[in-house]
Amino acid sequence: MWSNVTAAFEKAFALMGEGNTLLNEIVATTMEMSVQSSLYAMLIGVPIGALVGVARFPGRRIVVLIMRTLMGLPAVAVGILVYLLFSGTGPFGKLGLMYSVELMVIAQVILITPVVAGFTETAVAPAYDAMRDTAAGMGLNKAKIALLAVNETKYQLVATYLFAFSRSIAEVGAVQIVGGNILHKTRVMTTAIALNYNMGQFSLALALGIILMLIVLGLNVIASALQAGLKKRNG
Amino acid sequence: MVEVSVTKKYGERTVLDVDKLRFERGKVYAVMGSNGSGKSTFAGILAGVLKGDGEIIYDGKKPETGYMPQKSFAFDMSLTANMLLGQPLRGRKAIRDKARRLLADFGLGEMSKKNAKKLSGGETQKLALARLMMEEHELLILDEPTAAMDVNAVEKAEKFLKDYFVRSRPAIVIVTHSPAQARRLADEVIFLDEGRVEEKGSVAEAFGNPRSDKLKKFLSVNG
Repeated sequence: MWSNVTAAFEKAFALMGEGNTLLNEIVATTMEMSVQSSLYAMLIGVPIGALVGVARFPGRRIVVLIMRTLMGLPAVAVGILVYLLFSGTGPFGKLGLMYSVELMVIAQVILITPVVAGFTETAVAPAYDAMRDTAAGMGLNKAKIALLAVNETKYQLVATYLFAFSRSIAEVGAVQIVGGNILHKTRVMTTAIALNYNMGQFSLALALGIILMLIVLGLNVIASALQAGLKKRNG
Repeated sequence: MVEVSVTKKYGERTVLDVDKLRFERGKVYAVMGSNGSGKSTFAGILAGVLKGDGEIIYDGKKPETGYMPQKSFAFDMSLTANMLLGQPLRGRKAIRDKARRLLADFGLGEMSKKNAKKLSGGETQKLALARLMMEEHELLILDEPTAAMDVNAVEKAEKFLKDYFVRSRPAIVIVTHSPAQARRLADEVIFLDEGRVEEKGSVAEAFGNPRSDKLKKFLSVNG
């Protein structure tokens, strides 16, 4: 058992050290999918979360409840839904996106956007409550107040992005279904791990998992430096 | 200039019930009362950040209103950026100079580039007051504006408030726990008790010859 784990670590560092072309290709596809989907999810989710965070209307609690429920969307269910929508007989079948990185990004965006919106709402709502009277007393309009509320939560938004990226890079269910794990096209780290596990190559599967974690670690280091830089710049 | 007749209920409890309270430009009004007497609710409704039942009538158009709530808020940016918030002409030298001058007046000049989140409670109140003074308001509503300041800072803040008053001649409504502050700043006193106006009159009347037993007790306890 332990020998497998040790072998996995050795294999992981060996793969990274030798500059394996296939590994580089899989990492590139993984990053393309994860960066794109997490950025799109932020672009859609942050305004939705901020809007719900600053708006006060009848039924708001229900909207928040729905938003938080959607945070737990099952990845496989999203994969099946997107598959049905974009397969040859589906309403968007003519777009020919099946088994493409683009469709994997779409599935990931559907999966991650509620998480981003939910986290944003959770951060923005109390910030808005704390500043609302002061901002309104200064004669600021609602759009400006909403932007200020988002500004108050910028550090949480960095953390939200990290979570979105981490969820995207570590997700396997949806991308397996809509991407098909096609070599040189849609194979990403997680689907490669699943494939190697199914083939009984546990050490290689685990090695890929370790590389995946190192990528996430690298991103976290960059994000922490960014947060520290932001805090320093803000005095 | 502004006439307020409003009630405010939280559930079954009436927290404010005032009728035909009138505020005119060129006068300073002190709203006093014990905790829970409805002072802050009144200030919030007058400022338009709280909703009440009733009406607020204006002579002519709604006055340019500035409001400083009890809990002042410093935005997550530099003090200078805080001062320039909501200033459409923030790029202009005159506006930036005004911000710089006000910060210096309030003793915050050396911190102008610092993040406002680093300020203490009293400094945050100074910033909030200075920020309001960037505009020339017709109606200025201040809810306990100096509660977190030390004695020297209160003295300075009151001086700048008086200067502002002389310059702009707004109606100033100042919610305060301090009869001494009301005496120093106000022309008229409105004493609230359980949401109702218990006594209203000139500073001389309210402090020299209070009619209400509750106001007498309030003054004897709060000095």
